[in-house]
Amino acid sequence: MLSCLLPAIHFADGTVVPIAISAAITMIVGMIFVTKPFSNYFNHRTQMSTTRKHSETSNKRMAYVAVALVWVLLVLFGMLPFLLTRSTTSVSDALFESMSGLTSTGATIFADVESLPPSILFWRSVSQWIGGFGIILLVLAIVPSLHINKYSLYTAEASGADNSGKTTTSTRSMVRQTLAVYLCLTLFFIVVLRLSGMTLWEASNITFTNISTGGFSIYGDSIARFTPLQQYILAASMFLGGVNFALLYNLFTFKWSRLKNKLDQFGFYCAIAFVSVLAVFGVLRVHHELPWDEALRDAVVQTLSVLTTTGSVVADTTLWWTPILLMFLILSFCGGMAGSTTGGIKIMRVLILFRNVGNALLSRLHPHAYNPVRLNGKPVSNDIITNVMVIFVVMCTTLLFSLLALLICGVESTEALGAVFGCLTSYGPGLGASGGFGSYAAFPMVAKWICSVLMLLGRLECLTILILFLPGFWRK
Amino acid sequence: MNLRLLFRILGMLLVIMAISMILPIAVSLYFGDGSQFGLALSALTILTVGLFMRNFLGTKATRELDMRESYWFTVAIWVIIPLAGALPYLFTSSTATFTDAAFESFSGFTTTGSSVLVNIDHAPEGLLVWRAISQWIGGVGLILFVVALLRRLNEGSARLVEAEFSGTLQRRLHPRMKRSVMLMWLVYTGLTLTLFLLLMVGGNGFVDAFCTALSTVSTGGFMTHSAGLAGFSRFSMASITIFMFLSGVNLALLYGIFTGRWRSLFVDEEARRYFIIFFAAVLICFLSFSLAGGFSLHSLGFSFFHVASTISTCGFFTSAPSVWPATVSVVTFLLVFIGASAGSTGGGLKIKRLMIIARYVRNYFVRMIHPHAVLAVKIDNKVVEEQYVGRVFSFLFLYLLLVVAGALVLTLSGVDIPNSFCMAAANIGNLGPSPVFDNLGASLNYFALPGFAKWSLMLLMLAGRIEIVALVSLILPAYWRKNK
Repeated sequence: MLSCLLPAIHFADGTVVPIAISAAITMIVGMIFVTKPFSNYFNHRTQMSTTRKHSETSNKRMAYVAVALVWVLLVLFGMLPFLLTRSTTSVSDALFESMSGLTSTGATIFADVESLPPSILFWRSVSQWIGGFGIILLVLAIVPSLHINKYSLYTAEASGADNSGKTTTSTRSMVRQTLAVYLCLTLFFIVVLRLSGMTLWEASNITFTNISTGGFSIYGDSIARFTPLQQYILAASMFLGGVNFALLYNLFTFKWSRLKNKLDQFGFYCAIAFVSVLAVFGVLRVHHELPWDEALRDAVVQTLSVLTTTGSVVADTTLWWTPILLMFLILSFCGGMAGSTTGGIKIMRVLILFRNVGNALLSRLHPHAYNPVRLNGKPVSNDIITNVMVIFVVMCTTLLFSLLALLICGVESTEALGAVFGCLTSYGPGLGASGGFGSYAAFPMVAKWICSVLMLLGRLECLTILILFLPGFWRK
Repeated sequence: MNLRLLFRILGMLLVIMAISMILPIAVSLYFGDGSQFGLALSALTILTVGLFMRNFLGTKATRELDMRESYWFTVAIWVIIPLAGALPYLFTSSTATFTDAAFESFSGFTTTGSSVLVNIDHAPEGLLVWRAISQWIGGVGLILFVVALLRRLNEGSARLVEAEFSGTLQRRLHPRMKRSVMLMWLVYTGLTLTLFLLLMVGGNGFVDAFCTALSTVSTGGFMTHSAGLAGFSRFSMASITIFMFLSGVNLALLYGIFTGRWRSLFVDEEARRYFIIFFAAVLICFLSFSLAGGFSLHSLGFSFFHVASTISTCGFFTSAPSVWPATVSVVTFLLVFIGASAGSTGGGLKIKRLMIIARYVRNYFVRMIHPHAVLAVKIDNKVVEEQYVGRVFSFLFLYLLLVVAGALVLTLSGVDIPNSFCMAAANIGNLGPSPVFDNLGASLNYFALPGFAKWSLMLLMLAGRIEIVALVSLILPAYWRKNK
């Protein structure tokens, strides 16, 4: 019980503090009106959802509703700053932007970001930071405490299969560790970026959006105007944002012996990052004939931005060669490591998928062999494999159907493809007009709603939301 | 390794191929199209090689075959036979390069129907007949051809067929593999003959009727005119549509029609889904045509034709209504992925697999609320084993992976991203001409693609035709490891 209360308190901290800062900076009265009821109400909901859990089924039902409701309410209240400051007059635009912020997607509806008031810019950055925060809490603390066990892929790995008996203690300490890492990283990068020559304003905004792998920027050209050094630092922040936070914690606290049960995933993450950076670099160098330094920088920063589903843009990617853009779609679908702030289906699932497929193929040849899927040398439980397969199928199906829905809305096919990948994987930018430094401003209204829903689905890995719409869900 | 058996099988297939080329040669002599020498030369070459393989390399073949061998046999057969089938295109100088000839031949044997021949209207008739025959041979699978012919290969034949169909062929017609294969051939030939006669009655020339009948029943999709089936009479179109529809049904169920057990058509769950999907798609297409361009009988007929052509992965096209709403493209795109029933001649993911996956996912959702529920995936009231479900999943994963990989290669050759996805999906699904999003209809010819793109499309067709598993297994290191 106690551990369940913890996230609520943490969550409230996370929301109140940055907004107080933003209020101090901007002095916009509307903001204060928003924050008070917002944080209170949210706090209340979280507690409700976490304290009630007795009769199993009805409670599970309640839990799913609560998780969905928390996000929806959060997003609804997040809309208010945009509407009250008249940054946009359309509700669907505000919803899109707020959703994009709180799911740390980074797709923007504003064609001209720089004309927005600083307060709104800061709110966008902060909302992403909260979003990154929120997803960690959700996966780490709220969901396991609700005993939606099948969902807890991350806890299964982070805590190891052996100490499943004492989830409460491990959950609490894990939440602490993770938040500590998140806060430290944020502070660290703000300081480093400040030292590298950014103003504090730039440094904090950009850090908020990059460490949370969100990708909003306070400038129309995203991060393209920063110096190479600053961009490399940002790349590092994105990369770290895509790493399992428990791994980072153990790394920084020199508990290296604990690292070895996450190395499989980390190795795969690094390998993917390295290979794809190399590929992009090759293309930029040979096909686009960029100079060495620029090609290397663009390749490193942009590829990491995609792989970690951040969505910061370092150059006008719409002009890049098509195969690279397609590769970006695939990378963003993979996402970063499980237990980080990234979207996508997570590297760990990709790894399990591949190994499982290999095993399934071999099982035809040797039908009686015992050959489980292994991760870090340990067999992976069937539940997790099922979870991985189901999420993969559901994600693909969602992708396909939302693509078709966008096409029916009259969005051009390349744009539609980019948009569904961008929104579902929480990468952000799409292809064509919505890609690169562009925005989703030109999308038809229905398409914006579809994209907003996609972001939410992608962030919560589809299942938690989709289950609410199953006919059997509400039945006794 | 049991190389002798492989040579024997290959030799027999090559001899069959050579014999089946008599008809194209006769047609070409009759029409005087000038391709008879090229055809005869390739027939002789194939015959010689075939006889050599069968009678010298393939003698004293043991009839033992384990799973591992059956996999790479299947792949080897499916690579070598289409390559041999490329000879007529080369020798008649119908294609400029070997790549094009191989593409056309692969497309034929895998019943895909993607074409690189730019000037079909002036192509020699003999060659058109050969194209159609290659599809027909590939239609129910090369292996089935062999199984029917080889003596004493009961256990091994089951393995080979398993490798070729990766387990979708569960419903056997007869306890003995060989007997059931013979029955399948009977149904297949019967369907083809019926359609051929219908088309002759419908007033088509011999070449048109013959080629189209073979293309339809094998769900290949090669056509004899560059305008597609636009010149065919209403009666012919109707019969083609009906036979395309039938080709998407499990052959075993079709056999039931002949023996009076036609009721099983409506009891079988997969067939029911097939009908539902078919009629729903027709309805959606027709409605959106009506909304866009007004009600007309032509658009109704076209909806039937188009949906049948896509869902059976036949890939025929004809003159479409001038307004082509986005909804129709969308439905088409979905159908490309879904494909026909398991055990039919069509390609795609197959409805049965999708049913298994859908039910598995549904069970998962139920267990999210009721964690202790014990649920199994059932098809036709029979429990599908967990292991089999896992295979279906891995099939789906590999299928999508190959589509993405194919799309990546296609973008290298300058195709835009959505179209490259379409092309890859259409070729791995053995559909052929791919539905294009923003332009209407289909991108009809693959001639303009560079060589490497054509070769990777061939690989996709092959993967789709032999249901991926046998092909992909070969690249696993563990596959080649000796098990002691």
